[in-house]
Amino acid sequence: MAANTQSMRGFEHLEGLPEAVFKRLYQQPATALAIFRRMLPNLGKTFVMAMLFNPDPIPISTLEAWVHPTKNSLKEEAFAKLRQLHLVNERQGTFALDATFKVELKKALTGGGPPGCFGLPCDTDDKKKVDVAFLDKYATEQWESILHFMVGNEVPSSRRPSEGVVRLLLHGKLMEKARSSSETMITQLGFSFLLQEVNAQVWTLLLLYLDMAEQLRMDPVDILHFLFLLGSLELGQDYDMKSLTPTQKGMLEDLRDYGIVYQRKSSSRRFYPTRLATALTSEVRALNSPAATMKNAISQSDDNGFLIVETNYRMYAYTNSPLQIAVLNLFARLISRFPNLVTARITRESIRLAISKGITAEQIIDYMTANAHPQLRKNTPILPPTVVDQIRLWQIEGERMKATHGYLFKEFTSNSEFNAVCKYANDIGVLVWVDKSKGMLFVSKHEQIADYIRKRAQSNK
Amino acid sequence: MQAATMATKRKGSINELPKPSAGTKRPKPDASSDDDDDDLEEEAPDEEEQGALTRVMDKFSFAGARARPNIPTGDSVSRLFKRDELSFLKMKPDHESRPMWINPRNGKIILESFSPLAPAAQDFLTAIAEPLSRPTYLHEYRITPHSLYAAVSVGLDPKDIVAVLDRFSKIPIPNEIVQFINGCTGSYGKVKLVLKHNRYFLESSDMKMLQILLKNPVIGEQRVITDGGDEDGITRESAPKMGALVIPGTKIAAGVAQGQQITQQNGVDGAEQREGETAEELFASVTALKEGEDDDDDEDAEAVHSFEVHAEGVEKVQKECLTLGYPLLEEYDFRNDQRNANLDMDLRPQAQIRHYQEKSLSKMFGNGRAKSGIIVLPCGAGKTLVGITAACTIKKSVVVLCTSSMSVVQWRNEFLKWSTINPDQIAVFTSENKERFRGDAGIIVSTYSMVTNSRNRSHDSQKMMDFLTGREWGLLLLDEVHVVPANIFRRVIHSIATHAKLGLTATLLREDDKIQDLNFLIGPKLYEANWMELSEQGHIARVQCAEVWCPMTTEFYQEYLKETPRKRALFYIMNPRKFQACQFLIDYHEKRGDKIIVFSDNVFALAAYARKLNKPYIYGGTPQQERLKILQNFQRNELINTVFLSKIGDTSLDLPEATCLIQVSSHYGSRRQEAQRLGRILRAKRRNDEGFNAFFYSLVSKDTAEMYYSSKRQAFLVDQGYAFKVITHLQGIENLPGLAYDTPAERRELLQSVLLENAQNADVNSIERETDGGFFDRTRGDWRGKNGAIVKRNAARLSGLSGGDTMAYVEQNASANKKIKVAPGMQNKFMKKLKSDAVKKARG
Repeated sequence: MAANTQSMRGFEHLEGLPEAVFKRLYQQPATALAIFRRMLPNLGKTFVMAMLFNPDPIPISTLEAWVHPTKNSLKEEAFAKLRQLHLVNERQGTFALDATFKVELKKALTGGGPPGCFGLPCDTDDKKKVDVAFLDKYATEQWESILHFMVGNEVPSSRRPSEGVVRLLLHGKLMEKARSSSETMITQLGFSFLLQEVNAQVWTLLLLYLDMAEQLRMDPVDILHFLFLLGSLELGQDYDMKSLTPTQKGMLEDLRDYGIVYQRKSSSRRFYPTRLATALTSEVRALNSPAATMKNAISQSDDNGFLIVETNYRMYAYTNSPLQIAVLNLFARLISRFPNLVTARITRESIRLAISKGITAEQIIDYMTANAHPQLRKNTPILPPTVVDQIRLWQIEGERMKATHGYLFKEFTSNSEFNAVCKYANDIGVLVWVDKSKGMLFVSKHEQIADYIRKRAQSNK
Repeated sequence: MQAATMATKRKGSINELPKPSAGTKRPKPDASSDDDDDDLEEEAPDEEEQGALTRVMDKFSFAGARARPNIPTGDSVSRLFKRDELSFLKMKPDHESRPMWINPRNGKIILESFSPLAPAAQDFLTAIAEPLSRPTYLHEYRITPHSLYAAVSVGLDPKDIVAVLDRFSKIPIPNEIVQFINGCTGSYGKVKLVLKHNRYFLESSDMKMLQILLKNPVIGEQRVITDGGDEDGITRESAPKMGALVIPGTKIAAGVAQGQQITQQNGVDGAEQREGETAEELFASVTALKEGEDDDDDEDAEAVHSFEVHAEGVEKVQKECLTLGYPLLEEYDFRNDQRNANLDMDLRPQAQIRHYQEKSLSKMFGNGRAKSGIIVLPCGAGKTLVGITAACTIKKSVVVLCTSSMSVVQWRNEFLKWSTINPDQIAVFTSENKERFRGDAGIIVSTYSMVTNSRNRSHDSQKMMDFLTGREWGLLLLDEVHVVPANIFRRVIHSIATHAKLGLTATLLREDDKIQDLNFLIGPKLYEANWMELSEQGHIARVQCAEVWCPMTTEFYQEYLKETPRKRALFYIMNPRKFQACQFLIDYHEKRGDKIIVFSDNVFALAAYARKLNKPYIYGGTPQQERLKILQNFQRNELINTVFLSKIGDTSLDLPEATCLIQVSSHYGSRRQEAQRLGRILRAKRRNDEGFNAFFYSLVSKDTAEMYYSSKRQAFLVDQGYAFKVITHLQGIENLPGLAYDTPAERRELLQSVLLENAQNADVNSIERETDGGFFDRTRGDWRGKNGAIVKRNAARLSGLSGGDTMAYVEQNASANKKIKVAPGMQNKFMKKLKSDAVKKARG
């Protein structure tokens, strides 16, 4: 679920694109399908399907009639999404699907469309065909070399990320150049990136890529088309480059550096998508869970733990690896560092911070257990139970309260207006809190409410 | 006095062989071990000290480390450590076989306790550094000026300190540390404060040193101009000589064997030991050799120089010397003291002192003289016997000061039990008893308040005081030194002329940091024992600690939030869920056959809990007779398995029967109180039973200030290696029959009474203060007189409890105290014996 929401965040970024871009995006069946699959709520999908093969616009009232009155919020959410993605044209109380989108999605579903719109499989057999295991290994290595590089680990020069990757990391402020030297240093943003699930990391990086590409006057639509295309490719199949646009061909080189696609030589005409690519638009987790990935990335020391956790919440790590230390810093307060030992302390505050970054108590405990020092391993359970309990309790403590970002509306001109807005906010499902006596309400999104108030004001005139 | 029955402390049991000092001692953290949360912000390790101490220590701060520029070799995570980024340090090639790291910035030492060298290193570090934390695997110590002062005073040489540190350290000893050690120790131990003929002298083998001191305006002012001596007023004498000294009770074989042992320590055999390869021997020899050298030095220096200072000015002089960086060592060469009569007493043959007691005493008498200082042992580990042994070693007149008249009786009985002293020669000075001992030498046992009270003395006690102040004493034994504020000590130390002072405590902790004052008022900390180790060896009980989280009921939480922070306490103490948890735990442990003590600082809550649960309770206002009756019943009567105690039970109360402790309310974040309370069950009689565990529960109302205090309080014990398990739900609590406050109506009623109480006592905290300080010598007239307010508060509450303020439950829950009183067959010892015999018979 966490992975899902995080990659959804990637898609939300797309929602801000201008209408013209959307119109062009819909020109590819793969993109139309990806957007349909990943960016619409279930009810939205139902609406789209209802309109897809219907030649005429459908009255909104008809769509509304399909929804149980108690689920108005879902309906409003779906409508809002459809409008936001410019998927529907609204005219005289009717909805009609965007013409391009309609055509392309039909193609995607019925298998029409030009050859290669879902990638062009190579017609000749690869003499040195690679299997899925190889691709996985390749993708993991490439991706982890980036992570290692980010935390400043020594990486063999053959695995050192290319200039393009470094540029991208710098551009995304995941890393920055140290003032004094030419060394690159990881930033706070970079740390939170490290913590993310791999699929989310991939999307984060790709969106940064998109951002940078626009500055380089590359066509974002071209790039997005390719990314969505990659998501619909099949793992283990080799594809031909010839159906790609020049921009997309240029992209291949970068994507190869990230481990998203595999090419034996840069001159090769065929490319293989890796699991990182095929998972782009699916909900399947790419590679491993973050903890596992991190663990692999961090430790050559699976059987050679380095962490000692004491009953007094002090933690001693026999390490000098910056990545390990960086990871410790995510959930413990570092105190001092000797050449081969780091002392730290687990505090309520440090755990709270970790949890606020999306790390769970279980992840922390798993991490500590997995890396426990041989001295600790003599015990059952390995970690001091009081510390484990306390970390869980700290998490539970935090779960009692939830912060919601949003907007406060107050000082309404009249009671009836207040009530109407309340009702509307409730209907579209953005209402978080309301105090009738004070005449205030709190909503999670404000655009539609503001629209509504404006419209009301106009109609009242 | 019946208190004797409570004084059955298990001291130095007879059947335990004293273990040779195997060098396995680990110390426990000290007051200054503020938790690491401050570490990053901390400027230097010395900031937690104050006043004069700060100044002297600034002189010896790790300035070098502070000035170090940012390390260029840092990597991506270096900045996370700020000044404690020490990865630039070079490891020794064979670092893996060495057990410790040392931080050049703040003198902190981290020790791997699983290293084969660790026992020896621990022994050594105990002597030269303050233990900060000591859980299972990695221990932390810190070198401070105080700890080095203590190290020097037990005879360690800076060169050897550095050499041994280097041997144990994984990294070469940083220059900063070497400079720090030399800087601190260079000036230590040069000047001694000696009491002769009831007059104080500053003594040094270095004439220049005294001249420097005399030029200081503060010290110069305090000088007494005498006839003898040179133009500076400095007199010359020959130095005292050493010889073999015997600490009684340290070996089964008396006399020669003991003599040999001490001689060894005095370094005769030290050189041979140094040949030994193990680090343990190395350490032993370092200690020994230094002591040997000490002797040589003193013999070489044929003369010592001295000048006299005014008795009243002694403390000023001490403080000034500390500021100047020349802390005074106090030593008493008791064997050559012909002026004061010897006291004929010795340890009884059956008294065997344990290895750690022996170790602590050898620190005190290391060079054949008695040093002043503080010995820190956990509650129940036999502090009294250490005191008695020290007295038997010095064999001069002794003053023992303790916190309450109850302890006075206990001390006297312990003396009679463990030593061969003639009962005529040990006298008690309390409000009831004002006798003197017979003969030239003897022991007086009294309380701090008796000695320091400055007004309205009766004729008798004035005479007693004149007796105390009018003569010289060999040893001043100070029990529970941590509870007594510095100003009381000052008065004690000024009024009683004593050659040596020995402070005894379990917890050298004060939240107000005044503990550092003790360093110059009494002397350095000579020895500090390791709780976990003693517990593993069975000297103190093994304890399971738990923190029980009791959610607040909605109504109580609402009121809690409405109140000002000062008045909130009563709501979280009287939280019905907490009450239920308490009831459940009592029920559970009584069924297991445990004897339970419930602590509540808040007297209103104490009475309410005890009455509701129909258990006896004791607080400051309980008459002495009633107290004794309740405690005896608790010890002997199988029907009375639970007793509720207020703060008065924190210290000095010996209840070896108790095996379970429940804490309902406590004094904010006091780490000392937590440790003292834990101490109540550490000497549990059954501690050596197989698989025996004592239980310590702390009940905490969730989401209230108590949570914060609770974690503060536990800091000390957690650093000792105790682990507090958090219990969020007591299994089966909802099924307990007769669970109190189970219905909303009952809870509302309780809330009403709490609200009423809060309204009546504008400041609920005043209740807590009533019995503050561990003094519960209520029988003393002047105590009551000084604090008239106490009487007033008592009166108000009693009226409340008797129904005067519509507290309905009072009628239904009459105090269980009363029931005990009228219980048949409980009136006197004879009847009691009959009854217990009958019970035994019935059990067959």
